[in-house]
Amino acid sequence: MPWFLHLALRQLFPPGKRFPAFATVSILGVGLGVASLLIVQTVMNGFGEEHRLRIRESFGDCQVVGAAPIEQPEALAKALVARPEVASASLYAEGPALARNGDFSGIAQVRGIDPTDPGQPARKYVYGGSFDDLDDGRIVLGAGLARALRVRVGDRIEIWSPAMAERAEKGKAPLPAEFEVCAVIVTGFTEVDNAAALIPLRRFREIWNLGPRAHGLTLRLKEPALAEATAARLAATRPELRFRPWQDIKKDFLAAIRFEKTMLFFLMFIITLVASFSIGSTLFSAVIRRSREVGVLAALGAARWEVVGLFGLQGLLIGALGTLLGFGLTWTILSFRDGILSAINGLFGGGDMVANVYQFSKVPLHYDAADFVIAAAFTLLTTAIAGLVPALWAAGRKPSEAMRDA
Amino acid sequence: MPELVLQARGLAKAFASPAGPLPVLTDVSLEVFAGESVSIRGSSGSGKTTLLQQLGGLDQPDAGEVRILAPGSGLVAPRTSLGRGVGFVFQNYQLMPELTALENVALAARIAGVPALSATAAARALLVQVGLGARLEHLPAKLSGGECQRVAIARALVNRPSVILADEPTGNLDERTGAEIMDLLLGVVADRGAALILVTHSREFAERAGRRFVLTAGVLTPA
Ligand SMILES: Nc1ncnc2c1ncn2[C@@H]1O[C@H](COP(=O)(O)OP(=O)(O)O)[C@@H](O)[C@H]1O
Ligand SMILES: [Mg+2]
Repeated sequence: MPWFLHLALRQLFPPGKRFPAFATVSILGVGLGVASLLIVQTVMNGFGEEHRLRIRESFGDCQVVGAAPIEQPEALAKALVARPEVASASLYAEGPALARNGDFSGIAQVRGIDPTDPGQPARKYVYGGSFDDLDDGRIVLGAGLARALRVRVGDRIEIWSPAMAERAEKGKAPLPAEFEVCAVIVTGFTEVDNAAALIPLRRFREIWNLGPRAHGLTLRLKEPALAEATAARLAATRPELRFRPWQDIKKDFLAAIRFEKTMLFFLMFIITLVASFSIGSTLFSAVIRRSREVGVLAALGAARWEVVGLFGLQGLLIGALGTLLGFGLTWTILSFRDGILSAINGLFGGGDMVANVYQFSKVPLHYDAADFVIAAAFTLLTTAIAGLVPALWAAGRKPSEAMRDA
Repeated sequence: MPELVLQARGLAKAFASPAGPLPVLTDVSLEVFAGESVSIRGSSGSGKTTLLQQLGGLDQPDAGEVRILAPGSGLVAPRTSLGRGVGFVFQNYQLMPELTALENVALAARIAGVPALSATAAARALLVQVGLGARLEHLPAKLSGGECQRVAIARALVNRPSVILADEPTGNLDERTGAEIMDLLLGVVADRGAALILVTHSREFAERAGRRFVLTAGVLTPA
């Protein structure tokens, strides 16, 4: 151990002193800064991950659509599932329709799906009723749409499709399709919840006069993270179709989440910067307090760079210990996040935002090693500079002058 | 003919002051030989500390030059021989408050590049020699003034310098302790074969040096 590291440790943690105030306060400052940075980043990651997961669950990992309805969708599904990247494929068709319950009506985005598919995403978001009851006479509604129509599970509604207008043109009396509501879903995406209506694909084909065709396929991939590359590869084999990876489907939304995260990173980074500045000023006053000692070290033959090392290392040590403390605080606070949140809600009566607005049962988390590496690197850099500036100043003084200081 | 360990020629130093440059040293020359002791007396503010700083390389004179014998390197500029050719003893001891007596002495050796184990061994031996064998692990705050100065003397000697510069080493001590420190300093410096330049107020202590000077009006004159 070089002598200046030994002395740096002694000056930070003086022996015989039970409470090293200077070091404790500085390390705590850095630790709180790092923790606030990482907590915000980790929770933001959690929300992002949760949203990404929901997008994938709702829209599939990859959508396959064509310029016209797909003629032989079952055969296409079979061919796609045969590919090693694809886990499953399910047909769908969709289109807007008028939903009516007596005097109440609303625009429904009706989606025809395979009710027997165990991977149907709507199953996870059932709020009331049962998805398994879905059959040719029943329908699943988004909560917002159900509210607009004033219906609950067990009530009946009518669906008027554009194909019925064609019937009317041909002089036949258009008859609406009748459904009993068997389940209500809440996904957390307002535009989905306010319009979604799910019926079996077989019924959709009847009501929309689609015949054996479908509007598209949703694919589950074995590696959802590689959806973009996989989609490009699949598209090459079927140039007449479009393959949209999930990252493309809600592009702006995902970009907004990333942007939010970046902005918060800079805001929180400023907090750590403030902590580093306060270390800089405390170190500076410590160096001034030790002016005489700097002169003595020079009289003992210490080189300038060693004096720089002595004080620069103190900044770096504070930064390193503060970073570690910040890591620990982050982990601790996030482990108790739900208790902390309900305490805050209890104090300010804010209601449970997470459940009400975001529809998450818990504050979501996603630890990203990159955030920790970046936070540590930035903190070490700024605290090293904060220590280095007074260190350079101290080492630049003439020993004779330094030793005259009281 | 004993070996020359310190040679100063034509030293001059002035400090800037609001009323123009204030000359403190005008023309100081001095030669010191191995093992001898030299005392410098002078009234307060006569420039004794300034002179020691020029001699030891803590400051650069405006004119003139200093050479100091650094063991193994011959006569060199004092700045490059700090901690090796020259050792300082200050009026205020100037120990590191966070280090124990043992660590304070070992620090000087560590700075000079001695490995930790040998530095500690040398420091322990010297502290025993200056009578502090039972105070090795004490922090300076837990030592008396006389004990602190003993630590400082051990620190100045640990790298076997050819000359010790002592700036009023008894200035902060009572008469009896001051006399003890003087005995110790003269004894241990002679024992190690180092030369001693002793700056002091006290005529009595100054008399004990082999050669005596007085600093007046920026010039060194034999007393
Ligand atoms: N760095 C400095 N700047 C200006 N004046 C100084 C400085 N150092 C010493 N002096 C002046 O030089 C004179 C000699 O000081 P010093 O060498 O400390 O005297 P002594 O040690 O003999 O008491 C004093 O008048 C002091 O005020
Ligand atoms: Mg003086």
